[in-house]
Amino acid sequence: MTVPSTSTPPPGSVPRRSRFAEKILPGGTEPDPRFTLANERTFLAWIRTSLALLAGGIAVEAFTTDVFPEPVRRGLSVLLLLLGMLLSAGSAIRWLRVESSLRSNRPLPLPLIGPLLAAGCAVAAAVVIAVVVLG
Amino acid sequence: MDENPATAPLPANGPLDGDPGLQPERTALAWGRTLLTLIAASAMSLRWLPDQGPFVLAMFGLTIAAGSGIYLTQRRRYRRSVEGIRAGRLAPDAAAVFWTAGACVALGAVGVWLVLS
Repeated sequence: MTVPSTSTPPPGSVPRRSRFAEKILPGGTEPDPRFTLANERTFLAWIRTSLALLAGGIAVEAFTTDVFPEPVRRGLSVLLLLLGMLLSAGSAIRWLRVESSLRSNRPLPLPLIGPLLAAGCAVAAAVVIAVVVLG
Repeated sequence: MDENPATAPLPANGPLDGDPGLQPERTALAWGRTLLTLIAASAMSLRWLPDQGPFVLAMFGLTIAAGSGIYLTQRRRYRRSVEGIRAGRLAPDAAAVFWTAGACVALGAVGVWLVLS
């Protein structure tokens, strides 16, 4: 056996979805479990990306006292922290939208958090370059 | 003889499921990496311990609790994934996803508050 069985198991054999999962993911049918796990790993990859931004924001404020003037340090730190928060929330929303598409066999949504991450990182890099060149 | 694939006894030899992609293992490892990143990110804030002691400790305690939650459910998560793949059906772990995202948003919010205060 190299492929999971596609036949529907008898009712009650697999733990049912939690009440929370039923509320936020109504309707549709359970997709291939490998897709559900892949979606979970993709969410985790996004969460680790946002945690890296959060860690960066904390590190800028905590460790660069002698490098950047205070307004720049605070601004950069808050920018990175806000970007990390937006990405954390966005990755959960994306997980939900992908899971919902999988359940109803619709095409997967485009990742809106991709351009958000790119734009945010570009702004943060531009600020650092400006400080290094002008400072 | 129990014919239900989800509750049938695991075979003594050979693979536990028919998944050559090692999905449960990769997913459990992804959770483990996330737990380590979460702890590392919040450990950075310990630098503020001398100025904002109790507040920083509370935040670090919160992320340690979230990390412990992930760590203590790893075995259950792996087993659930294996059983789901054997049965061809797996309930999505919505609670874990939203708790993790919520912990990250909270970490960021506390960070912003600490920077601006």
